[in-house]
Amino acid sequence: METLYLVAVHLGNPYVFLAAAAGVTWGILGGAMPGISPSITMALLLPFTYTMDPTGAIVLLASTYVGAEYGGSIPAILIRTPGTNAAAATVIDGYEMNKQGRAGLALGISLYSGVLGSLFGLTMLILLSKPLASVALAFTPPAYFALGVLGLSVIATLSGDSLLKGFVAALLGLMIATIGTDPVTGANRFTFGSSDLLSGIAPVLIMVGMFAMSELLVQASDRSEGTKVLSRPRIEFPGLKLARRLMFPQSIGATIGTFEGVMPGAGGTIASFMSYNEARRWSRHKEEFGKGSPEGIAAPETANNAVAETALVPLLSFGIPGSNSTAILLGGFLIHGLVPGPMLFTRSADVVHGLYAGLFIAAIGLLVIGILMLPMCIWLVNRPRPYLSAFIFALILSGIFSIHASLFDLAIMLAAGTVGFFMRMLRIPFLPAVLGLVLGYLVESSFRRSLVLSGDDLSIFFTDKVSLALLVVAFLFVAGSVGKRALDFVRHRPSAHYSEGSE
Amino acid sequence: MLSRDFVSGLAAISIGAIYLVFAYGLRTSALDDSVGPGGMPRAYGWMMLILGLMIAAGSIIKHIRSGAAPDLGIEWKGQGRRVVWAAGLLAIGALYIFGISTLGYPVAIALLLAAVSLYQGARPGVQIIAIGIGGAAFLWAVFVLVLGVSMPKGLFILL
Repeated sequence: METLYLVAVHLGNPYVFLAAAAGVTWGILGGAMPGISPSITMALLLPFTYTMDPTGAIVLLASTYVGAEYGGSIPAILIRTPGTNAAAATVIDGYEMNKQGRAGLALGISLYSGVLGSLFGLTMLILLSKPLASVALAFTPPAYFALGVLGLSVIATLSGDSLLKGFVAALLGLMIATIGTDPVTGANRFTFGSSDLLSGIAPVLIMVGMFAMSELLVQASDRSEGTKVLSRPRIEFPGLKLARRLMFPQSIGATIGTFEGVMPGAGGTIASFMSYNEARRWSRHKEEFGKGSPEGIAAPETANNAVAETALVPLLSFGIPGSNSTAILLGGFLIHGLVPGPMLFTRSADVVHGLYAGLFIAAIGLLVIGILMLPMCIWLVNRPRPYLSAFIFALILSGIFSIHASLFDLAIMLAAGTVGFFMRMLRIPFLPAVLGLVLGYLVESSFRRSLVLSGDDLSIFFTDKVSLALLVVAFLFVAGSVGKRALDFVRHRPSAHYSEGSE
Repeated sequence: MLSRDFVSGLAAISIGAIYLVFAYGLRTSALDDSVGPGGMPRAYGWMMLILGLMIAAGSIIKHIRSGAAPDLGIEWKGQGRRVVWAAGLLAIGALYIFGISTLGYPVAIALLLAAVSLYQGARPGVQIIAIGIGGAAFLWAVFVLVLGVSMPKGLFILL
C-alpha cells in the first residue's frame, strides 16, 4: 500500500511524465524499423541520459523498451517483417489479417493487448521485486561475490548453441573490466600509460559499440531496398464480442510473459511463441490460426509486453540483466551511480518508485502514442536505408562524444563495434561479454574483500548462509542448462539460440 | 579445418596469451592483499587460453568424426565481402574522428552523413547535399542548443 502511495506521488511529476512519453515514442519508432532491436533503440539513447536526472533517465530507457515491443508489430503486420525478434510470432496471423484488409484491426489488437500485457507485467513487477530484494540487510561481501557469480551463471542460458563460446565472451567482458584502477589496492592495470584508461572503460561505450555499431557494420554490405508499406491503415479496436473472445489468449500471454520475463535468459521471443502455441492449443477456433486469427496476435503481443516489465524483476532485485535490453537498462543505472540489486530499494527507493510510475504512464501512454505514431512509423519504414544508416551512425558518434567530450571514447566505441562484428561472424554471443563487463568489478572486489575479512579462508563463501544459498542457485542454474544441452545432444535436438532472441 | 569454431578457438587462445603476458607484467607490492592486482587477471587469462584450446580441439574432433573436410566456401560464404564493406564504414568513422577537431562538428557531421549515405548506396545528387546539411543542422541543434554539449568548433572557432 505504501508503495502504491509513493508511486502515485511520482505520477504527478511532469519530468517522469515527459520521460515516459518520450521513451514510448522513441521505442515505437525504433521497434518499427526492421533490424533495429529494442536493445539498439535503447543503446542509442544511453549517451543522452548522462545529463538527465536518474529517475528520468531510467524511466526514459524502460519506456523505450515498452514502446519498442509494440513498435515491432507494425512492420510485422504490414510488411511481414518483424521489427523485433519478439514480434516474429505476430507475423503469422497479423500479416494474414492485413492481406484480408483487416490491418487496422490487427494493429488495434496488437496495441491494446500490449497495453494490457504491460499493465499486468507492471503489477507483477511491483509485487515480486521488493520481497526478493528484502534480504538486502543480510548481504555481506561473500554474499555480493556469490550474487556476482549468480549473475554470471545466467550466461549458461544466454550462450546459444555453444556454452564454451558464451564463457569466452564472458571472460572477454571480465578482462575489459580489469582495465583501470585496481578496486582494492588502487594500482593501475592495463592502462599502458594512458590517462584516459585510468578510470576504466565505461560500459556504455562497449554496449553502444557491440549492440548498435556492430549492427551497422553487419548491414554495411546490405544493398537490398527493403519492403515498402503501401497501405495507409487506421488503427481499429475490437468490439465487445471480440474483446471478450480475446481475454483468454491475453491471459495466457500475460501468464507466460510473466514467467519468461522473470527467468533470466528466456526473453520476449520465446514468450511470444510459447503464448501463440498455447493460445492455439486452448482455442475454440483452432482452424483460424495461421489464417488471420485475432487470438494469434493477442496472445504473443500481451506476452512480449508483459516480458518488457517482468524482465526488470531480476534486474532490480539482484542486479542481474537477463536480456540485451535489461543489460542496456543496467548501463543506464550504472551511468548514474545506481547499483541495481538488494540495496537499490533502500538507497534509491525514490528512483524505483519513479520507475514504477513511469512504466504505468508508459503503458497508458502507449495507447495514445501508438495511435498517433502510426503514420510516422510507416513514413520511417519507407525511408531509404542508406539515409537511415547514415543518421544512426551520426547519432551514435555525436551521442558518445557528448558523454565526456572525448575523441578517445569514440575510438573505444568503434573498437567495441569491430569486436562485436567479428563476434557475430564467429557466432560468439556478446551479451555474456556485457554481463562480464558489468559484473566484473563486483565479483573481483567482493571476492578479494571477503578473503581479507576471513584471513584468506575460502570457506567464508560457504559458511555465509546468503552466499551459500546464492552459490547453490547459481550451480543449479548452470547444471540445469548443461543438463538440458546434454539431453538435446542425446536426442539430436538443436539447442535454442537464446542469445539471439533474448531481447 | 578453418571452420568458424576453430577460428574462434584460435582467437580466444591469442587473446588469452597476449592478456596473460601483460597480466604477469603487473607490479606487485608488499602491501597487496593475497590475491593482488594481478591475481584475477591471471586467472581470467588462463581460463581464456584453456577455453580457446577446448573450442579449437572440439572443432578438430568434430571434423575427424564427420570424416569429411568442411567446405570452407560454404562456411565463409560472403564473409570477405562483409569485412571489406564494414572496414570501409569504419574508415569513414576513423576519418571523422581525425577530422572533427579541424573541421568542427557541423562540417564533419555533414560530411559524415553524406559520405555514409553514398557509401551505403544512395545516388549522388542534390538530395545527398540536402541530407548532409539538414541532418547536420538538426544534430547540431539537438546536441549544442538543446543538450548544451560543447562540440568541437574547428573552423568555426572565431564565430
